[in-house]
Amino acid sequence: MTEDADVLMERVRARDADAFEALYDAHHRLVYGVALRMLGDASGAEDVTQAVFIKVWTSPELFRGGNFGAWIVRIARNRALDVLRSRATRGESELPETLPETDSIESVAFAHIDAQYVRSALAELPGEQREPIELGFFGGITHEEIARRSGIPLGTVKTRIRSGLRKLRTVLDRTVTA
Amino acid sequence: MSDQPYHEMLDDVALYALGTLPAADAQRVRAHIESCAECRAEYAALAPAAALVGVTAETVGDLANCPGTLLKPRIMREIRKTAATPASAPARELRSPARVPVWPAYLVAAACIAIAIATSLYNVTLTTQLRDVQNKLAASTTRSSQLAGNLADERSTISEIMSADSKRFTGNLGEVIANGSKLYVAMHDLPAAPRGKVYQAWTLAKGAKDMAPSLTFVPDSRGVAIVALPVDARLTDTVAVSVEPEGGSKAPTSKPVLVVPLN
Repeated sequence: MTEDADVLMERVRARDADAFEALYDAHHRLVYGVALRMLGDASGAEDVTQAVFIKVWTSPELFRGGNFGAWIVRIARNRALDVLRSRATRGESELPETLPETDSIESVAFAHIDAQYVRSALAELPGEQREPIELGFFGGITHEEIARRSGIPLGTVKTRIRSGLRKLRTVLDRTVTA
Repeated sequence: MSDQPYHEMLDDVALYALGTLPAADAQRVRAHIESCAECRAEYAALAPAAALVGVTAETVGDLANCPGTLLKPRIMREIRKTAATPASAPARELRSPARVPVWPAYLVAAACIAIAIATSLYNVTLTTQLRDVQNKLAASTTRSSQLAGNLADERSTISEIMSADSKRFTGNLGEVIANGSKLYVAMHDLPAAPRGKVYQAWTLAKGAKDMAPSLTFVPDSRGVAIVALPVDARLTDTVAVSVEPEGGSKAPTSKPVLVVPLN
């Protein structure tokens, strides 16, 4: 998936509509799914999906390598956050759209981009770690808001998110190498 | 940041990777990561795990939670407006890199000289003309394939809205068609939207007081637009269309060009 996406993005930079269509076919459900989960309505999710893919077409230089799936998830979340912000005043941060150095686990997981596979990994986390991670990612709220809503001390929320992400990383390492 | 205990700093790096830090804190952590190798390594370890959380939302195999069938044709129509000509972008070779043969200038010159020696200028002209015709034919063939694909997408929608089971509600410049739970707006003779503006559909759910924003769209060159609305027709009382700024509005900002009660 990664190599193909890299090749396809090269062709998108050369204004190749067929390459763009192949990228759309491979990733539109992922983008739409993230937007739908965050916004909760199909109309908004379609608008975000359209905006994300138009951005891929008009600004392909923003993808600077790494895993395309991981990158487009970040773009989708940030655009959905824009919509949430327009609906109510929010101050949460966006995901950084530039990726850290290519990561083997991320590449393998996205290469087999299987939602159920990652869902299982996430389900292995204790609820006290999984819930703030999901709330933070899909709810688009800050850790301070998570602490306020759940009545858990701020420091505890921070520690649980970090512990959860580390454990998720470990679970994915184990699953991918199994 | 430097006064912050190290474990708290690592916690903040995790929050930054997940995207849950307030903007000001995110900026502070981003700057710190640039200068701290340990935190940079922590971020590199956690960012992939955070991004993968998004994968759990993918709607594979769940048709009820998939985008409408008209979304892809709508996006592709926009894309093809600025796509390269097919001759410079070979189609249907998505598994291999696009290899567009580019001859160095000196080779082209050498080839031209060789041809000039071996043949008359008249023949060179014919060869060039033949190549032009071949390129135009290739472009026309690819364009025909694209149009056929779009036509297939639109035909499936049209067959639904033309079904004898569909209920039609006519309004100014168009009509609303309900087929079971599905709902379509079919506009005709719609003038092009002013620069920076689009048309936006609105739906009023039964029992609701306010119109809810729906999809934005633009008509084609004939003034025709067919839009599948992502609401349940059986639960919808009224459909409207108005001109709105690009990106759409949360509430109508202009007088609707179409208002159709579904009863």
